[in-house]
Amino acid sequence: MSEIAPHAVSAGDPAVIAARTQEDVAVGNEIVRHRLSSRVMHWTVALAFMLTLITGMPIWTPIFSWMAFLVGGLHVCRWLHPWSGAAFFVGMLWMLIHWLASMKLAEVDKKWLSPTAIIKYLNYPETDQQTGKYNGGQKLFFYVVVIDAVLLFATGFVLWWPSFFPQAVREPSIPLHDIAFLLFVVSIIGHVYLGTAAFPGTFGSMMRGTVTRAWARLHHPKWYRDVTGDKRS
Amino acid sequence: MAASMQIRRSSASLRGEDSLIRKLPVVSKYIDTTTCIGCKACEVACQEWNDLKVVKTEQTGTYQTMPTLHAEYWNLIKFSEHDLGDSLAWLMRKDQCMHCADPGCLKACPAPGAIVQYANGIVDVNPDKCIGCGMCQTGCPFDVPRFHEKTAKMSKCSLCVDRVEVGLEPACVKSCPTGCLHFGTKEAMLELADTRLLQLRANGFTNAAVYDPKGVGGTTVVTVLAHGDHPEWYGLPKDPHIPLGVRFAKSILKPLGLIAIFGAVAGMFGHYLRSGPKEPHEPPPGGADQSGTTKETRP
Repeated sequence: MSEIAPHAVSAGDPAVIAARTQEDVAVGNEIVRHRLSSRVMHWTVALAFMLTLITGMPIWTPIFSWMAFLVGGLHVCRWLHPWSGAAFFVGMLWMLIHWLASMKLAEVDKKWLSPTAIIKYLNYPETDQQTGKYNGGQKLFFYVVVIDAVLLFATGFVLWWPSFFPQAVREPSIPLHDIAFLLFVVSIIGHVYLGTAAFPGTFGSMMRGTVTRAWARLHHPKWYRDVTGDKRS
Repeated sequence: MAASMQIRRSSASLRGEDSLIRKLPVVSKYIDTTTCIGCKACEVACQEWNDLKVVKTEQTGTYQTMPTLHAEYWNLIKFSEHDLGDSLAWLMRKDQCMHCADPGCLKACPAPGAIVQYANGIVDVNPDKCIGCGMCQTGCPFDVPRFHEKTAKMSKCSLCVDRVEVGLEPACVKSCPTGCLHFGTKEAMLELADTRLLQLRANGFTNAAVYDPKGVGGTTVVTVLAHGDHPEWYGLPKDPHIPLGVRFAKSILKPLGLIAIFGAVAGMFGHYLRSGPKEPHEPPPGGADQSGTTKETRP
């Protein structure tokens, strides 16, 4: 924990820049939320996902044929989609190892185990004061995408090498790959929206690594108290 | 692939079915399994006309050239034997693409125009558009399309569409010495089949039937079976349909998925219009509200 007074340094201060490779440290008004390795990991997975998405969507339906032109046509998609998908899967395993310890469901997160939880969350209620570094929704999102990535890779592997699998395996793989893909895409649409437009300051946490004290108190009060030692709730 | 033919349906096409200006009669290949002697002349003719490479034959102890169709072997006389109690049935059936009226391969194919159905009912692979994903093999109820290792494209019988479009019969039909193969309009071929069925029934094959399964809208290849009540003896599915997984993915998941994706985007956009961003509304800690030197939210 930093000894520097909250307002002695600003975002561009060398002390803040130096702290960006650490995590959960407060430097002046800034708190480092995602250290460099977390950010590199996140954007590696995101890049592999985007590549897999734009090479997969035109194979799914011709409405998205135009995406195929971004990589040189549908023939390239058939070759590239499985490889970028495999890279994405490896990235997700990296993510699993990197973040699993942070994603244990706490008592306060249990209320997220309701199907209407996300609707309530989008109505911007007061944040529960016991909300830690990640809230229940973020933790569930983590488990959903990791499990979904396993399903995507398992069914995708069959579609990659159809000659090695019997009809009884190939046939269900087509709809299962579609269902897993749709679940993933809808989740990611929500993830991108909440991480950018809906909660200002969140995108910066994944780019520069830091958030402001106010952002931390608003979204993750318990994490804020743990990191800063500020006992106000 | 003969590009000069009118196309009725095309894979991965958003266009509705049947946009033909001129209706053409559906053609058909008639296969009479009861007069096939298994001479393999049709297999050779197919290889020769379609310029297919030599595929290594595989002896499995029957009168069959190899166990199954191959990317360079589109026409295979399948042999099977059945103990009927007092006699033995030796069954020869010409295995090839059935050219379904409702082709599962075409439905499963994700590449626009890679599988087409011509106005005359012939279903063909367009190698130029084919991406070699193999979905058509999964979509086919008869397990016909094959992946070609060298070209990385799918291949199958084209019903010699290049011959048919200039008024010739398919190479296999041309070569058949017993007359068990015929080619003409589907109407004419079904008539021929009916005549043959009468003969077969008079000869004691009371279950003789024409194999033209309705589950795939009928097939352009019509097959006369002496044991019509047991198509599985010939290696034919009893009631073929486009596989459920393919139909579910293409007819239900695809529209539902599009609604889900665009719905999610619209929902998030609508949420922003209604609720806007969630930002800190409390006075910042440390008295920055007096000094005014610290911004609590990022630009």
